[in-house]
Amino acid sequence: MYLRLFKWALAFAALVSLVGAIASTAQADQLQTVKSRGKIVVGVKQDYKPWGFLDPSGKIVGLEIDLAQDVANRLGVKLEMVPVVASNRMEFLAQGKIDLLVATMGDNPKRREVVGMIEPNYYAGGTNVLAPKAAGLKKWTDLKGKKVCAIQGAYYNKRVSTLYGPDLVAFAGIPEASAALKNGNCVAFVYDNTWIESRLSEDKQWAAYEMPLVTEDFQSWAIAVALPELKGPFGDFMRKVSVDWHKSRKLIELNRKWGIKDNPFLTEMHNKYKG
Amino acid sequence: MATVDRASEGRGGFAVMLPFRLAPRESSVWRFADWISLRAAVVLVAGLWLGLAVDAFAASAAAQPSILSLMVKWSPVLFGGFLFNLLISFLSMAIGTAAGIILGLFQVSLRIPLRRSAWVVTQFFRNAPWLVLLFYCILLIPFELSIFGRTVPFPDWIKAVFGLSLPVMAYVSEFVRGAVQSIPSGQWEAAESLAFSRRKTMTMIILPQCVKRVLPPWMNLYAILTMATPLVSIVGVQEVMTLTRAALGAENRVDLLIPIYLYVLSWFFIYCYPISRYTVRLERHFTVIG
Amino acid sequence: MDRIEVFFRWLHETQRMNFTIGYDAYDRGRFFVGLLTTAELSIICIVLSLLVGVTGAWVQGSRSALLRNVTHGYIAFFRNTPPLIQLYFFYFALGSILPQIDAGGGLTRPPISGFGWAVISLSFFAGALNVEIFRAGLEAVPRTTVEAAEALGYTRWQSYRHVVLPLALRVSLPALGTNLVNLVKTTTLAYAIAVPELLYVSAQIWSDELNVREMMNLVLLSYVAIIAVLVWILHHWERALRIPGFGRP
Repeated sequence: MYLRLFKWALAFAALVSLVGAIASTAQADQLQTVKSRGKIVVGVKQDYKPWGFLDPSGKIVGLEIDLAQDVANRLGVKLEMVPVVASNRMEFLAQGKIDLLVATMGDNPKRREVVGMIEPNYYAGGTNVLAPKAAGLKKWTDLKGKKVCAIQGAYYNKRVSTLYGPDLVAFAGIPEASAALKNGNCVAFVYDNTWIESRLSEDKQWAAYEMPLVTEDFQSWAIAVALPELKGPFGDFMRKVSVDWHKSRKLIELNRKWGIKDNPFLTEMHNKYKG
Repeated sequence: MATVDRASEGRGGFAVMLPFRLAPRESSVWRFADWISLRAAVVLVAGLWLGLAVDAFAASAAAQPSILSLMVKWSPVLFGGFLFNLLISFLSMAIGTAAGIILGLFQVSLRIPLRRSAWVVTQFFRNAPWLVLLFYCILLIPFELSIFGRTVPFPDWIKAVFGLSLPVMAYVSEFVRGAVQSIPSGQWEAAESLAFSRRKTMTMIILPQCVKRVLPPWMNLYAILTMATPLVSIVGVQEVMTLTRAALGAENRVDLLIPIYLYVLSWFFIYCYPISRYTVRLERHFTVIG
Repeated sequence: MDRIEVFFRWLHETQRMNFTIGYDAYDRGRFFVGLLTTAELSIICIVLSLLVGVTGAWVQGSRSALLRNVTHGYIAFFRNTPPLIQLYFFYFALGSILPQIDAGGGLTRPPISGFGWAVISLSFFAGALNVEIFRAGLEAVPRTTVEAAEALGYTRWQSYRHVVLPLALRVSLPALGTNLVNLVKTTTLAYAIAVPELLYVSAQIWSDELNVREMMNLVLLSYVAIIAVLVWILHHWERALRIPGFGRP
């Protein structure tokens, strides 16, 4: 009877090693894979209005979704979107769960070690805070020791907390962080200045709030592909698309379409690439 | 203070053959509590709808969408998310129960290495927080496996199902172990004297008796699992909580917070409350005196 | 200390195992804050939930039908709704309607912080289960014992305190222990409302340092260790309180 058990164990071990061997085959070229598959899987935000948010029918819409759709159209494939948040988007790309990442991601050297950033960058933003006017914040150092809402996984969290010493209260998504700010659970909400500006200009509920500090730490946002693809055909393709977006003013128009204030970065890039 | 349980009346036969059951001490109180609770619930729900209707009227005067209309607008999406939660709970329960039964049988096995390792696995997964196990499965299981040239995709929610089935497996294993160990040893001895092999004893004598003992805690575990499914929203799976947060983010109305959370809470309540009441009844039904 | 840091840096460079809490003081500080907060949260919640359980079990035996029904409703609500949504409801929904207190400089803040709401929500959640457990324990005390206490002239409260509760506690200890262990595991939910407990700080560390694998394993082992300690304590307490003739041998 033990011999039978031993034979079963041997067979199972053989099967597992076979699976392991097959699973470690080399990565095919992503561009080819996408084209032959007939669809491209893009990671987008769904809680960052108006770059990516949910409409009542459950569809994700927004500026970045329009960009992703443009990429799909150029490739002649269907678009499939996967909602991501700051804390899991790079893992998804590295694992290969998504082919492309268009999710308000800041470009910095540490992240370049993990994912492949496409240049020229398609957008840029800086760090600022949304705070009630009554708080009277003037300088970044005013944040010291105060409770400041943030989003989990954002790249500026570490920088802001080490430089200015606030008590960071990080939530999973914007609805929670906004609700906490409204309740007074924190004195300010540190986030990207482009989002803050768009909310202040468009959303009446933020009438008593302001963006008082000097925008710091300008970071370009980048679309990302998996690191091995960066130097390959997929990376080349995305680079051309990005240049074209700046050249053809598509980004500036999309910016206006979604009611976002004109971004000087986009104008500068358009002038650079218009030919 | 023994009374004949009303549920067994009318089954024919001698009264002395009927099972001996103590009347639950507060049976009349439970019924009174139900009576009051039902009416209180009706009053509460009516009041809630009245409040929403008043708010609708006020909102139409203020030219902004009322809370009621917003909740109605988002209900299809949210309800679809809730059904997805239920799907996750069914699958996790199925996988966890199957694995748990096997693990539980290993825990009562006669082979020491099997018993010890099964015990370690059970204790490990019983003592690990569910959220940490979920994070672990989501982040560290690959998103697809290639077997014999065909890729098997593992979408996020499948990984979450595995993550939730691990603690279920551990709990079911404990239930099975407890049930098997609670069978009187007379049963084992009688089976041995009739020359039953261990395997036959288990399958034909012991396990059928265990089913009854395992059923109430197993159903309770299902209720607990269903209430743990919103955890998968923290690891990024699209279910009712993620959709609620997305809806709140799209609407940006602070006064929508309380109604919409209460709304989603009530769905879970309506689903789980009957299950827990039935579990209590089942437990009382199976209680063995002595 | 330096030797440890050198070791972890070596691990990072040569073995690609990045345990930043080994060599980075900032991350190490955060991790220990997380451990401390988890311990604090667990202990406070355990104590409060025991109080809620004892009070609830007492109220359930009271003569007032209203009190009994209110307790019944409270237990039904907390047992049949997801603890995560309860937490969100308390922190965001209830937190927004409570009267604000002055925070100086023309600002207001809510009276209860995230930690406070986590304590309240988790204590009530575990307390509801404790009420059921204590009630089962109370019912397991033989009526004859209660009648004997009554015959000796104990008031209801006195018999409860001197006779019934000690016996009920011993009977309910196994189930109570399980519930307390579940409570400690449930403290991880406070992650969702940004309470700096262990899981939350680990998530912050791994999103800053991009060392998910290492932190994930560390967190898992830490929790299993914490709970193993709790289980050991409960097991020994159970053994110390054992009375022959009650509960399992």
